[in-house]
Amino acid sequence: MAQYRAHGTRRVWLPAAVFGLFAAVIGARLVHLQVLEHDYYAAKAKEELLGNDTIYARRGTILDRNGGVLATSVNTWDIYVSARAWKDEATAAKAAAELAPLLKTTPAALREIVATTESLDARVYHDLSYETGTDILKKNIPGVIAIANTSRINPEGDVAASVLGFTGTDNSGLAGIEAAYNEVLQGQPGRAIYERDTTGEPIPYGQHTVTQPKPGEDLVLTIDRVLQEMAEQYLADGMKEHKAKGGSIIVMDPMTGEILALATSPGLKFSTLEEDLAKGGDDALSLLRNRAVTDLYEPGSVMKIITAAAAIDAGVVTAGTTYYDTGVVYVEKVPLKNWDDASYGQQTMTGVLQNSINSGAVFMQEALGTRRFQEYLDAFGFGKPTGVDLQGEASGIFRRPEDEGYSPVDVATQSFGQSISVTPMQMMQAVAAAINGGNLITPHVVKARIKADGSRVDVSPQVVGRAISPQTSDTIRQMLGEVVSQDPDGWGRNPSRYTAGGKSGTANVPVWGTYDETQIVSFIGFAPLDSPKILVLVKLDENGDGKTGTVAGGPIFARFTDDALRYLSVRPEKGPSAVHR
Amino acid sequence: MAAINHPLGHPRRGLPLPIPGGRPNLWLVFAIFIAGVSALLPVLQNSLATSRGFDIQASERQEAQLIGEISLLEGEVASLTSITRIDRRAQEIGLLPVPDPIYVTVNEPGPAPAKLPSEYLPKSGAKPVPSSPWWKPLVGWLP
Repeated sequence: MAQYRAHGTRRVWLPAAVFGLFAAVIGARLVHLQVLEHDYYAAKAKEELLGNDTIYARRGTILDRNGGVLATSVNTWDIYVSARAWKDEATAAKAAAELAPLLKTTPAALREIVATTESLDARVYHDLSYETGTDILKKNIPGVIAIANTSRINPEGDVAASVLGFTGTDNSGLAGIEAAYNEVLQGQPGRAIYERDTTGEPIPYGQHTVTQPKPGEDLVLTIDRVLQEMAEQYLADGMKEHKAKGGSIIVMDPMTGEILALATSPGLKFSTLEEDLAKGGDDALSLLRNRAVTDLYEPGSVMKIITAAAAIDAGVVTAGTTYYDTGVVYVEKVPLKNWDDASYGQQTMTGVLQNSINSGAVFMQEALGTRRFQEYLDAFGFGKPTGVDLQGEASGIFRRPEDEGYSPVDVATQSFGQSISVTPMQMMQAVAAAINGGNLITPHVVKARIKADGSRVDVSPQVVGRAISPQTSDTIRQMLGEVVSQDPDGWGRNPSRYTAGGKSGTANVPVWGTYDETQIVSFIGFAPLDSPKILVLVKLDENGDGKTGTVAGGPIFARFTDDALRYLSVRPEKGPSAVHR
Repeated sequence: MAAINHPLGHPRRGLPLPIPGGRPNLWLVFAIFIAGVSALLPVLQNSLATSRGFDIQASERQEAQLIGEISLLEGEVASLTSITRIDRRAQEIGLLPVPDPIYVTVNEPGPAPAKLPSEYLPKSGAKPVPSSPWWKPLVGWLP
């Protein structure tokens, strides 16, 4: 029997080679996709399959010192629509028609958002009210996903807005306390991971993992909401009366450094925030700063408090030391005149403060010497941030002998508050040290933190140095009492029901090495005289009526002090209410 | 005559099944029972897990809803206790700003200071007495 054997001809091995090569290419591609690129495609598949949402933690509440709520969070919903679920025309039309009225928009607008979004889920509404969001969930509209979120509300309206600041759409603080304490307030966000079907809907019994968010801590501020509102009202009225472009009223407990009220203008207002931010430019940016800590000014004659405290503490003068004022003093042949060009003749150091005599301040500074005087400026905290727990604090600046362009005139003018730039907060810290027994205390606006478990962590007053002795501090308090008591009838700069001490300041605004015609006026005072409960700074920027710190700021201080101490239940020392029975 | 192959034997011959009325093979019954239970267990377990998962999700939804309602109520309370609202309400019910208060000095001790809530006080519970280890009495029996 004959046997046939296949011979490898070209018609056999050529197609075999082609198919073999093809199989090899496909095999190589499979290895590439499934082995080499495994992780990448596995991640892509997972991304398609798994939905992944952030669950924002409830942001901590901000309370005033008495427990009044200044800012809190309420639950809201962010509404998303699955673009895949709305690919079907009929489904999309029906769902959009059902959803639109609840979101107070039109179906066409909703579909436009979903059609133009690049992600799988399109956010169609941010911070929807809790009740409306719950209604949407109950309707079970195809493709609609509601993710829990929180929104910030401020029950007191615009009160303390510049202190509190605000949050962005991601619930992060962008200004004020909200930004400074963002880490504490915001807590830790959670995450929801769930399996979804081809339309993007969660699979009912699919994998569903939820990491619960950890709520943020509550903050108790040192701010008293009643005093804050009072300060804001007094500032607004004062600015209107004196045609000022801006200003500040700061109220502090001089013994502890607690800021009881901090009003600044112009500043943030929750009621007009969106419109103000939409304007953009410098005006919008300026809303983010608290002028009491970011803006510098020359304090003028208020600085004489510090000069007198330094000179008395160093023992080079006493309150009763006398000198003769001729109305002008020459430093390096530069004439330094009194503010009113007057000469006051023989004066004590108390008289220097009472009449705000520039030559008297230079007399005390020269008695101290340049180095010693500037050592006291350092001890009172000038030239460095106070450490207040608000963002963007400026350091302030004053020229020293080792600085370029220094002249002895600089240090002489520093004694009466020129050639030195300070923030209002620095001035508060320094004068608090001058009247509280000599302790330099860090001002602060947060009094305590309350953790999620209810435990409370109090912030203790922080003494960072001693500026002067307690005896000098007593003397300064009495000297400043003499300044205020020059006006015996009340409300010039003297409160009508309480003993007080204080000093005014008026300084022109420095512009490019010279001084502008515009001025900044201020009055800083405290009451009661012997055991101060409050220290108040009233500052008006560029007041159009040209009045001095005594005339413009003094009465505001006096009226505010009467009202504030009465609110704080401090028994009056003068007037009909002081009757003892 | 062609021979017919009968691989199963005679057509009338019965299968070797247990004869009804005869004694059942207990081992066989037990094996069937075990196999049945083993097959049902994963189904039962799966069903229980699914049911429990559903309950957990329902509880989580309820918890989230309650938390949301609490936050709404807290917000409402905050709004109701705001100074502006209190001021408005005071005017509505005819309250007037207080005239000058009269301060009276009383030669009596004031009220006792308000007590702090217990959570703010340092923990002062009795220290637990260290318990004697179980082997201690045994040591006493040793010569």
